[in-house]
Formats: sequence, structure tokens, C-alpha cells
Amino acid sequence: MNALDLLFLLSGATLLCALLFGRTRWAAPLLLLGYAAQFVALLQTNALFGEPISLSWSLVVLDQPMHWRYDALSWFFALITLGAGFLSTGYGSGVWMRDYERAGHSAGVLHTALAANVFSMVLLVGAEDFLSLFLGWELLNWATFFLMALRGGIAARAALRYLGYAFTGGMAILGAMALLYAQAGSLEFQPIRESLPQMSDGQLWVLLALLGSGFGIKMGLLPFHLWQAPAYAETPGPGSAFFSAVSARMGLYAMLVFFVGMVGLARLVQMEIPYTFLNGRDLLAWIAVFTIIFPTYTALQQQDARYLLAWHGIGQGGYMVLGVLVGTAEGSAGGLLHIFNHAITQVALLMAVFAVLYRTGTTDLNRLGGLVARMPLTFLTLLFGIISLAGLPPMAGFVSKLLVYRALLFEGMPLLFVGAIIGTLGTILSVYKLIHNIFLGQLRLEHESVQEAPLSMLIPMLSLSLLIFLAGYFPGPTLSWVAAVQAQLGLPVVNYHLGGVYDAHGGFNMIWIVSVLLAGFGIGALVFFGLGGPSKRVHQLDNYAGGHFLYAENRYQYSDHFYAGLMHLIGPWYRGSFQWLERALGSIVDFLAHFTNGFYGIAQPLLWSLAAVLGIAVWVF
Amino acid sequence: MALDFVSILYIGALGLLLLGTFGLVTTTHLFRLILALALAEAGVNLLLILSGYRGGAQPPILGFGPQDMPMVDPIPQALVLTAIVIGVGVQALAVAAAVRIYRRYGTLDLVALKAHLEGDLARKQGIAPPKSAEKPAGERPLSPVPPRPQEP
Amino acid sequence: MLPLILPVVLPLLAAFLVMPLARMSALIARALGPIVLTTSLVLLLPCCLDPPAQPLVLAIGNFAPPLGIVFYGDRLALLFANAVALFFLLFWDWRGGNPQQARQDALMLLLAASATGLALSGDLFNLYVFYELAAVASFGLVSLSGTGPALVATVRYLLVSAFGSVLALAGIALLYLQTGTLNLAQLGIDPEPLQGPAGLLAFGLMVIGFGVKAELFPLNYWVPEVYASAPARISALLAGLISKLAVLILLRLLVLVYGDTAAPQILLFLGILTIFFGEFSAWRAQDFPRMIAFSSIGQLGLVFIAFSLSGSWGVLAGIAVALHHLLVKSALFGLAHRWSGSLQALTGSAQRTPLAAALFVLFALSLIGVPPLPGFWTKILVLAGLAQEGSALAFTGLGAILLVTAVEAHYLFRFALQLYEKVENAPAGFRSFWEFLPSLLLGAALLAVTLRINPVADRLRAITQQAADRSFYITQVFPQAAAHRKDQP
Repeated sequence: MNALDLLFLLSGATLLCALLFGRTRWAAPLLLLGYAAQFVALLQTNALFGEPISLSWSLVVLDQPMHWRYDALSWFFALITLGAGFLSTGYGSGVWMRDYERAGHSAGVLHTALAANVFSMVLLVGAEDFLSLFLGWELLNWATFFLMALRGGIAARAALRYLGYAFTGGMAILGAMALLYAQAGSLEFQPIRESLPQMSDGQLWVLLALLGSGFGIKMGLLPFHLWQAPAYAETPGPGSAFFSAVSARMGLYAMLVFFVGMVGLARLVQMEIPYTFLNGRDLLAWIAVFTIIFPTYTALQQQDARYLLAWHGIGQGGYMVLGVLVGTAEGSAGGLLHIFNHAITQVALLMAVFAVLYRTGTTDLNRLGGLVARMPLTFLTLLFGIISLAGLPPMAGFVSKLLVYRALLFEGMPLLFVGAIIGTLGTILSVYKLIHNIFLGQLRLEHESVQEAPLSMLIPMLSLSLLIFLAGYFPGPTLSWVAAVQAQLGLPVVNYHLGGVYDAHGGFNMIWIVSVLLAGFGIGALVFFGLGGPSKRVHQLDNYAGGHFLYAENRYQYSDHFYAGLMHLIGPWYRGSFQWLERALGSIVDFLAHFTNGFYGIAQPLLWSLAAVLGIAVWVF
Repeated sequence: MALDFVSILYIGALGLLLLGTFGLVTTTHLFRLILALALAEAGVNLLLILSGYRGGAQPPILGFGPQDMPMVDPIPQALVLTAIVIGVGVQALAVAAAVRIYRRYGTLDLVALKAHLEGDLARKQGIAPPKSAEKPAGERPLSPVPPRPQEP
Repeated sequence: MLPLILPVVLPLLAAFLVMPLARMSALIARALGPIVLTTSLVLLLPCCLDPPAQPLVLAIGNFAPPLGIVFYGDRLALLFANAVALFFLLFWDWRGGNPQQARQDALMLLLAASATGLALSGDLFNLYVFYELAAVASFGLVSLSGTGPALVATVRYLLVSAFGSVLALAGIALLYLQTGTLNLAQLGIDPEPLQGPAGLLAFGLMVIGFGVKAELFPLNYWVPEVYASAPARISALLAGLISKLAVLILLRLLVLVYGDTAAPQILLFLGILTIFFGEFSAWRAQDFPRMIAFSSIGQLGLVFIAFSLSGSWGVLAGIAVALHHLLVKSALFGLAHRWSGSLQALTGSAQRTPLAAALFVLFALSLIGVPPLPGFWTKILVLAGLAQEGSALAFTGLGAILLVTAVEAHYLFRFALQLYEKVENAPAGFRSFWEFLPSLLLGAALLAVTLRINPVADRLRAITQQAADRSFYITQVFPQAAAHRKDQP
């Protein structure tokens, strides 16, 4: 039994534990132990820097073998999955779970759903042929549906909408699998990889459409992104954090395996769209850029913190796809690194927001404010998170985004670069709204007695903040993982060092950048604390304005219609076209259902039977 | 085209079948449907018997005529006997059902009966009868005025 | 040869004995049915579990084919004969208390006898007779409750069934005109006369004729009406078992006579229409029996599409889909016994009967084809076969199946979410798990198949090998014909 067997076994055992002991007091520690054990087993597989390791058990059904194998890409995604699972469970144990159970929900079901998600992801990223990929994919879809729907009510409706999208995507993948089987005679990766060069462009376009749609639906690429925000936002706390970290990235995993690993970016460039100057790669890149722009500005307009962050999750996925599609060492390194960086960022942000929800009972941005006075550590987490999300130094997000920008510029893709920058602008604006509306400004009367988040929540949040900072300061280790993944996928490998990368245009060194930044802060701190006079801490309202003293009952600081000017400009652009498209498709299905139902309402349908007979007679002769 | 006896019978059989089919397909009165069914079945049975006809042959009874004379194929006759019996049984069942339906609903019109069927089922299951909508379904697809930024 | 003849004869005999016996002793009359069915099962089960090397061939009354009627028991026929005995026992009315109990038992036994005959017979007209017998028995069973909807549904079913029989008989007449024989093996020896337009027309007429019971479009308008107004166990038997036996007739014809012609395209075209009309209508269904009735129409469309694939791949795919649907649909109708109201009225049922709700979720997952459940393997067999066919119609079928499955997933899980909603007063539903015991057993069987998918697949492959081999069938029924029949590949 090798390390991969152990990993799968432990994953299944964790699921079983969650099923059996989820309702007991020992659920959370047991599950944390389980995830930690899986993590250790993952490390033991040594798949990242060593040789790929195969599962020693394979299944053969109907003459089709199903194997599982962990290589560098699998290791990378499994790491993020297990880390997210561990941190989410840790976050959701203790106080949060007691509150959740008091609201009438079942802890065991939540734990089981989360463990099922982790298990199916561990299976999915190890797939070595399309059958096991599809098995993992469907298990993941259903585990996700389960975790989304278990709260009931609006979450169940969002989950049903997700199911409609996800199952259609799954069927598209199944159709593509059938076509690949007919073409290559087998569903394993190696025969398919060998038969792909012989396929015509037309066949590859069909595969691109089917598999691109299938994987893109899971990823939330335009135009399949509408389900993601409500579904992820309405899931209970730990589940939401877990989803945003890694669930959507499974679509990216599959795209990496197929489009980068098997088809190859060179082939995508060869597939030209007639009558345009675009090719397959350009099409995907522009979809990625629009995925960055539109959801980010939708996030800007959200009034609920969870929805805001969920829409950002959709948008950031576009950076990953964009980076990978550029294809150079830097670009793909940026895209792959962003998967990790965004995962830790998004989890930290969502944990902070759910901590605010736990303490104040709301995430409505128009009903919060000034919480920095009461929840400073949560504020710190959110601050680190939004700096990273916006892609500013010294946090981790800056590194991956800088890599993508550099790649876009140096490869001569200025329009895509402009699109990415527009997205970043939107991100910076909307995350400021997030932190301002929650933590800055005037503290409300009803939140006067709010306490800092409990320890069970603080520990994951602060450790993630530290990780975000360290990953930004010393991107070397994470870049080494990315380099191993690049090598395994056949992409050019980035030349990294502890502080950053070297490239033909000089590269960058985060250690210098961050140190200079910190030195600047240090000088500022010196000036402020050292050379300034003695300062006294006063209450926010111990002040006067316009000759009057301030009273807590009055609102002196409003945050309605944030970015009203910007909204006036871009608001008219948001005409709900994608929702219209979704509703139109639903109406078509409804119409077809009416039409077919009409047949079953006819009083004398024997005419149709006769028509069928006559049709056959005509066809025969 | 020389119309001999067998061809006329074939035309007759097909005609019966077509008549019966036409009746089945167009009528909405239950009893007429049963009658049309009887016609169609008669036509098909005749068709089946005719498929066993051999020109100038004698009935398939041993000892009827000379031994070396060809006989009409007896198998279709056996098949048709079975088919006639089946047909009669089904028609009898249909008539019995029609009688009970008439007693229950007072009509033999298929359209009305279908409506009764759907209505009774819906009532039994507690489904409300379909009603016209008060306003168009769904939401207005595109607002005529660009939307204002959301109110808090 | 007892396993071939007794399962047909004994239920027939018992059917006519039940009514007089009921006047003398109700207990004996009630016990007669299960006893006879158990006897059939006991006779047939060894043939299924430990199949003989050669199929069982029996010439009835020792009249040699092609003049006499032959019963052909290869692995496929024996599997279905076993399924008949097993499912009739499973869905027997054990609780009794019905004022028409004797009549119901008699009709059930008639249905069982004719179903077994449908599975085993090797003569086309004999198959027609058993088909009609099954039809008449099902008319009686559906209308037995005497309610208005049941009577109207029966009459509508009767009309289309009789219309179909007329057409099937016309098709048989046409066939007889071309070949002079109605024995399936004899037809297979020399299929040349039937490969032309007349033969194809005959096949088309028989497809329409036997397609009534097989829920083929456009003959399936009776399905929602009958399955909603008949007792749930009758619907289970009709939808699960009898529909497959009707397809079996067409399969035999396809394998033996029409394999190389364009005849499968009729099945493919009508199958695509069936699956489309079935599943889209289910989207708007407002009550549980009708929802699964439409779903069964859809799945039978899938069976037709599967059988239209060429070669033994088609036969394997078709048998797999048919058996899977037999398991799942019968079990779903077993649940419909209590869940017969509108879907709205069932909101929150999972609170009182979590087991039934979990069973529904299991069956729904298998219907839409989620790995590792068996439904997935059957579906991917069909899809891979369609992709390999490569014709335009096959790709249309591929797209239709994928689209329709997505719709199916949506409406099935829309209902599943309704089941699990939290409401204040949850509907009573099942009073105890005995009421849905058949569904429970079938669910356990489904899970067992999932775990042992490979042995099951091997068995199915062995069954297909026998069933799809034309020359094997012919040489089994006519050993002497092997010497001087036309050589066919």
C-alpha cells in the first residue's frame, strides 16, 4: 500500500467518520485529525517534486479501466483542497457550530457534506482517464449540491439553479467523452492524447465547445457564471469558505488537464475562427477577460458582503485562465500561482465576513460600520485579504497578478492587459467598499457591545493572514510548487528564486519591494510615534463638528449609494442581459414542455398513430 | 389490370381496414370507435385469410378430394380463428367498459370523457384546475429605463 | 423442459381456478396465486443462476417447428421469465381486503402467464396471442377499481392497444405473405424476402403495433392516464415488466431478420421522439405517478435508441438499459403507492419517512446516470454506441439524450428538494416500511449491482452473446438446418 492508497483510504475514512460521528462532540477534532492525516499522506506521496505515483488499485468496468495517479498538478490542487477543508472545519468547530445547531440545523450533515466534497476532490484530481475524471466530477457536483442545499430555503433554490447548470455541464462532458471514445477507441488519457493530433479542426472545435462549456460552468466562466454567487454566498460559513477557495478551481483543473496537457496551447492557437483574426486561444482569453471585468463590477454593486466576495471569486478565476493561456513561463506561473494565492485570500476574507456575521448578525453593508474599534483582529485579516485581492504589495495577490501583467505586456497582448487592469480597478474599488462599510466609519449603537471574534475563528483567520503576508514576502516556495506543475504540464518553467522570478526583462524581487515598503512604514511609524507629541486615545464620538458635540444616535457618516458617480456611469450597462439569457433558456424549456404536454392532452390522438404508420410507409417505399 | 376474385377480396379487405382505421382516427364517439375497431379487425382478419389462398386449390380437409390436389394454406385460417376470438373478447370488454362509463359520466364523447378524466384525477390528487394568468408570466425582460443603483 | 412450460401453464390454470375456489375457501384462493408463482420461480431460478450451456428448446405438444410452436429459452428469455415470476411475487397484493380480490388475483395470474409466454415463445403468432392476452389482463386490472378515471383510461388504452394489434396483425399478414412462415428461427434462416420494402413495412407495422405496450411515441398517450388512475402495483408491473417484454419481441425480430437493413432507423427515430416527448412532459407534471410515468416513457425511448445501435453493442446496451429501468421504475411505482397526490402535497415528506425519500434520491440518481450507479454505465454504453454510429440521426440522438437528461435531473431534484423541505406539519406518507418494502428490496438490489458491477456486466455480456447471435438461435431450434441453410455471417 503506497502513500496514495493511504491518502484515498484516509479520505474515505474521514467521510465515514463525519457520517457516523458528525453529531457528537468529537466530530470537529476527529475531522481535523482526519484532514491533517490526509495532508501528511499527501506530503508522503512526494508527487510534487518526485515521480508521479499511481494508485495500486484500479477498477475495470465494461473493459474500460479506471486508474488514479497523482502528479504535480494533482498534488497542487489536493494541497489547496485539504488546506481549505482543514481550515474551514477548524473555523466551523467550537462556537460557530454551537450557534449553527442552536438555529436548528444539523452539524453532522454539514460535516458530512464537507468531507464528501473533500473526498470527491481528492478523487477528481487523481484521475488518469476520462471515466475516473467523470466519476470524480459527478461525485463532486453532487457533494457540492448537497452542501449548498442543506440550509434549505433560498440556499436550496440557489442549489437547484446550480444543479441545472452543473448537470448540463456534466452532460456536455459526457457527450465529449462519447465522441472521444468513438475517435480514439478508449477513454484513457494516453490513447486520447495520441489521437488528438489527427483530429480535424472542426472536431476539435466541437470538443472545445463541449468540454469548455462543461468545465467552464463549474469554473463560473462567462456566460455560465450566474449560479455561482448566490449559491456560494448562501452556503453556511465553513462551506462558503471552502467553496470559494477551491471548488470552482476544479473546473480549471480539468481545463488544465485537457486543454493544456493534452491538446496543447499550440494547437489552440492553430484553430482559427474563420472571418476573424481570432483563434481558439484568443477566444478563451477574451472570455477570461470578460469574466474578470463583468463580475467584478457586479461585485461593486452588491449590498451583502458575502455576495460581494462571491462575485469576486468568479472574477478572479478569469485571471487564472488568462495567465495560463498566455503560455509563457511567467504567464502560466502567474495563473497557477493565483489559484493558491486567491484560495488563501478568499478563505481569509470570507472567514472575516462570517465572523462579523456571527457577532453582529448581519452582513448587510448598509447596516454595519466602525467595527474596527471592536474587532481589530478581524479588521486586520480583512485588510490583509483585500490588499491581496486587489493585487497590491506586500501581499500574495500582488505576486501572481504582477506575473500575469508582465506576461501579457511582454507577449504583446495590450488589449487583454487593459482588460485585466480594468478588472483590478474594479477590485480595488469594491474591496474598499467592503472594508469601509464594515469596519470604518461610525460605529452603530447596536454594535457597541460587539466583541472580537472567538478564538476558534481567530486562529484560522490570523494564520491565513500571516500566510498571505509571507507568501507575498517570500514567494519562492509557492513558486517552486508552480514550477513543478509547469514542468509536468509541459509549459515552460519559470525561473524563480526566494523573492520572485528572473526573466528576460529583469524579473522582480519581492523581498526588496516589501522591505522597502516596510521600511517606509517604519519611517512613518518612527515619525508618528517618536517625533510626535504624546497622544491620547479617545472615543470616536468624543469630538465636535460644526460647533456641536456629537451624539451616538445621529448618523454622521453614511455609506449609502457607494460610488454613486461610478454607478451612474456604468449602471446603464448592467441591463441584466445574462439573466435574460438564462430566463430565456428556461422559457424555451418551459415552452417545449407545454408543447409535449399538449400531445398528452389530445382527446383523440389516434390520428398521430396513423400519421406514424403512413410516415413509415412513405419512408419505406 | 385483370380483376380476379382474389384481387377483389384483397381490395375489400384493405378497404375494410382503411374504413375502420379512418373511423378510429376521426370519430370521437366511443361506441362508433368500437364499431370502427370491429371493422378494422374484420378487414385484417380477411387479409390474413387471403394470405393463405392458393389459386385453384381445395379446402385443407383430408379426404375432401384427390390426394395430390394442392390445398389452401390452413395456418392462416387457424391464426384468424384466434385473432377473431381475441377481437371479439376485446370488443366485448370495450362495450362493457363503455356501458359503465355511460352510467358513470352520462356521455360517450371522447373529448368530454378526457376532460372528466383529467378533472377527476386532478381533484383526487388535490391539484387546482388550470386558470388563466392575471398578468404575463416571468419578469419584464429588459427594463425600458436604465436601472438606478439599488436602494439600500 | 418443465421450466419452460410450467411457468406458463400453471398460472393460466390457476387464473381460472381462483374464481370458483374463492367461493369455497377464500384462504386457498388467496394462497393459490403466490404458490403458483413461487413454483415458477423455483423452476426458473436455477436456470438463471446456473445457466445451461445450451438454451432450452421445447416444441409444444411435440409438434416440430416450423409448423408447431417452439419455446426458446436462452439466457435472455430465462432472465425475463425469472423477472416475471420475481416481480409478480414482489408486487402481489399480500394485504388483501379488496372486495374484488379473487378477480384481481385471477387477472394477475393471467398477466403473469402471458408475460412468461411473451418472454419464452419462439413463434411470432404465439407472441401476438400472448401479447393480446397480457393486454386484456391489463385492461381488467386497470379498470378493476371501477372509478371513473380508471374506466376512461382503460377504454382509451384499449382503443390504442386494439388499433396497434390491428396494425401488428396486418404486419404479420404481410410477413406471412412474403415468407410463408411465422416461426422466428425459420424467418431467420432466409431473411432475404423480408429485406425489401414490403418486409420493412411489415416491421414498421409491428413496431407500431407492439410499441403500444412499449410506450413508443406516438402511441403512448395512454401511459400517464393509466399509471395515474391504476393502483400503483399494477403500474409498476406494466411500466417495469410488460413494456420490456413488448420490446423483446421487436428485439428478436431485429436480431434474426432485420439486422442488416434500415429497420433500426425506425427505432432510432421514434426513440428520439419518445425520449423528447416523455421527459419534457415530465417537467410539467404536477403529481408523482404522472411524473414517473412520463419518465418511464423517456427511459423506454432510451431503450429503443439503444436497440437501434448496430451489432451486439446495441443488444448489450438495450438489455442493460431495459434491466436497469425494470429495477428503478418498478421501485419508483412502489413508492407511488402512498405518494399518489400532487407534488405540492408531498412537500416535507422526508421528515416522517426519511428512508422513502432517500430511496427516491437513490433511484433518481441512477435514472439520470450518476456514476458509480448502474444507470451511468447503461447510459454511457448507449452514448458511446451512438457516437460510434456516426450518422446524423445518431448524433441527433446523442444530443437529445444529453439535453433530456439535464431536464430530467432538474425536475427530479426539484421534487427531491421539495421532499426535504422543512415544513411544520409534514404529510403522513407511509405508515411503516412494509408499505414500500418492494422499493426497499429493489433499492438494495440496485446498490448490490453497483458494488458488483463487473460480475453483472460479465453476465450481461454472456446473455448478449447468445441473444445477438442469429445463427446460434437458428441452429438451436433447427439442428438439421445447419447443414443446408444459406450461409450468413
